[in-house]
Amino acid sequence: MKETIKRSYWSSGWDRFRKNPMGMAGAVIVVSLYLIALFAPVIAPGDPVDHGDLPSMRHLPPGGSHLLGTDKFGRDVLTRLLYGSRISLVIGFIAVAISVLIGTIVGAVAGYAGGIVDSVIMRIVDALMAIPRLFLLLTCIALFSRSIWLIIFLLGATSWMATVRLVRAQLLTIKEQDFVVAAEALGAGKRRIILKHLIPNTLTVIIISATLRIGGIILAEAALSFLGLGVPPPTPSWGQMVFEGREVLLGAWWVSTFPGLAIIITVIGYNLLGDGLRDAFDPVQFS
Amino acid sequence: MTRFVAERLLQSVILVLIVLTITFFLMHLSPGDPMSRYDDPNISPETVRLIREQLGLDKPVPEQYMRWMASFLRGDFGVSLRFNRPVSSLLAEAIPNTLRLTIAALTLYIVIGVILGLLSAVRRYSLFDRLSTIAALFVYSIPSFWLALMLILLFSLKFEILPSSHMQSMGVSGMGWLARFSDRIAHLVLPAFVLGVASAAGMARYMRGSMLDVLREDYIRTARAKGLSERSVFLKHAFRNAAIPIVTIIGLSLPFLLGGAVIIEKIFSWPGMGALMVDSIFARDYPVVLAVNFVVTVMVILGNLAADIGYALLDPRIASGRKAGK
Repeated sequence: MKETIKRSYWSSGWDRFRKNPMGMAGAVIVVSLYLIALFAPVIAPGDPVDHGDLPSMRHLPPGGSHLLGTDKFGRDVLTRLLYGSRISLVIGFIAVAISVLIGTIVGAVAGYAGGIVDSVIMRIVDALMAIPRLFLLLTCIALFSRSIWLIIFLLGATSWMATVRLVRAQLLTIKEQDFVVAAEALGAGKRRIILKHLIPNTLTVIIISATLRIGGIILAEAALSFLGLGVPPPTPSWGQMVFEGREVLLGAWWVSTFPGLAIIITVIGYNLLGDGLRDAFDPVQFS
Repeated sequence: MTRFVAERLLQSVILVLIVLTITFFLMHLSPGDPMSRYDDPNISPETVRLIREQLGLDKPVPEQYMRWMASFLRGDFGVSLRFNRPVSSLLAEAIPNTLRLTIAALTLYIVIGVILGLLSAVRRYSLFDRLSTIAALFVYSIPSFWLALMLILLFSLKFEILPSSHMQSMGVSGMGWLARFSDRIAHLVLPAFVLGVASAAGMARYMRGSMLDVLREDYIRTARAKGLSERSVFLKHAFRNAAIPIVTIIGLSLPFLLGGAVIIEKIFSWPGMGALMVDSIFARDYPVVLAVNFVVTVMVILGNLAADIGYALLDPRIASGRKAGK
């Protein structure tokens, strides 16, 4: 009985999703990007960090053997772009996972515990949300040393607050429902109730909101890299590639332009996918 | 109403205190002793001990916390390690510049957003409406630094019609006030546009939804039934009511605008708090970093408070409805 309900929920959601051209477009973009990141060494025409023969290779315009031109070190822009997808996607994925994990745990505790614990947690969340994200991120980066893993961790650790609100709100509604009350009556412990009953029932909403958040996190990473506070060079990251083209905008517009377009396509992909998933699976939307 | 304002005020004060506490923790979590810059063979241990005492670093942590909190609330943020000047004087220079940029962006995005939103609502499901939905999605996904560079490439480098950096031209002081004024405006156009454009997209979507909601109300039907022109129904009846929630949106957009200002100020060499923040990070000037972070957050909290109160003034149901509900 339970199985059929579950299956029909997922399959009817999947049917709704398939009929949404925007959502499908987002899914295609995101899947393609992961394939590109995975097979970058196979499809890339060159090496991402290898310097070409300077100065003859410097700032070659797009076309010929360098489809998107070369940068000031004579490196192939297309190659770096393809490899750069790895950084953006890994960062987006892991940082969001961290943020969802923290947010879900804190939100579950607040929503389930209620009372003074809930009030204290929610006030801290309010305060953290009042600090503009980039400033919070920059303050943390300033205080601790920089490395790619720290950046990923900080991107996640500074963006979990929205998840707390979401999970808490979901829990408050679910908590009152019969199956939870029944579990409590049967003597299930708090931990068991949170882990076995409350979290699985909020999972859909969490996943949807996480997908919608990835775009923002990728943009934040790009902004950090652009400021020179993100992933350290020479690892190709899109934001940093845009920065490198800054001084030669007029002479070599392609150095900045193409990585920017790559960021836009990626973020649009995630946003379309997230919107599509929400329209298809969010119970509030179609009830 | 007074009660509502008092409650919100108290909440804001608590919020500021929590932010202060978080800042204090961040400072203590960070590696390195604040005294490490006195690690110098020419300074005697006795002097170091005296400085330590003077800074209150020999006191227990709770007492340090209280003292530090009191000085922060008084606006005493310590001394910048880089400039050897009080942080408050650096802030006094940077804050007005950031405000000028943010307010320009705010004005710009409200005007653009409201107009686009209204047009979308009037012509719902038209080509214009569809295009602006797609445009909004696109604008949301553009990194602001990239957009800034592209506009600089186009308007400053290719066509040379707008300046690409700083708040005013060199040698502007010799000109008349009109020339000076238009010079300042010209310098403001690109940064304010880039900073505001994403919010404009959000505002347009919001305005459209709000307008469509209001148009379903009974009093709109009544207004139409009275034989009023569509124009008057739209602007006098629907728009006035649909515009009230905008106040909240403005409050919510503040962290976004101030955060965006970091990048914009850096690109356009705009001497505001964002640029100060980034430069201080590179210089490891912690007192400045923490102070900027705190001041920006207080600005956001104050902005939200003002928005809430403004909303309650425009729509009295909020303050009284809350009392009745609780």
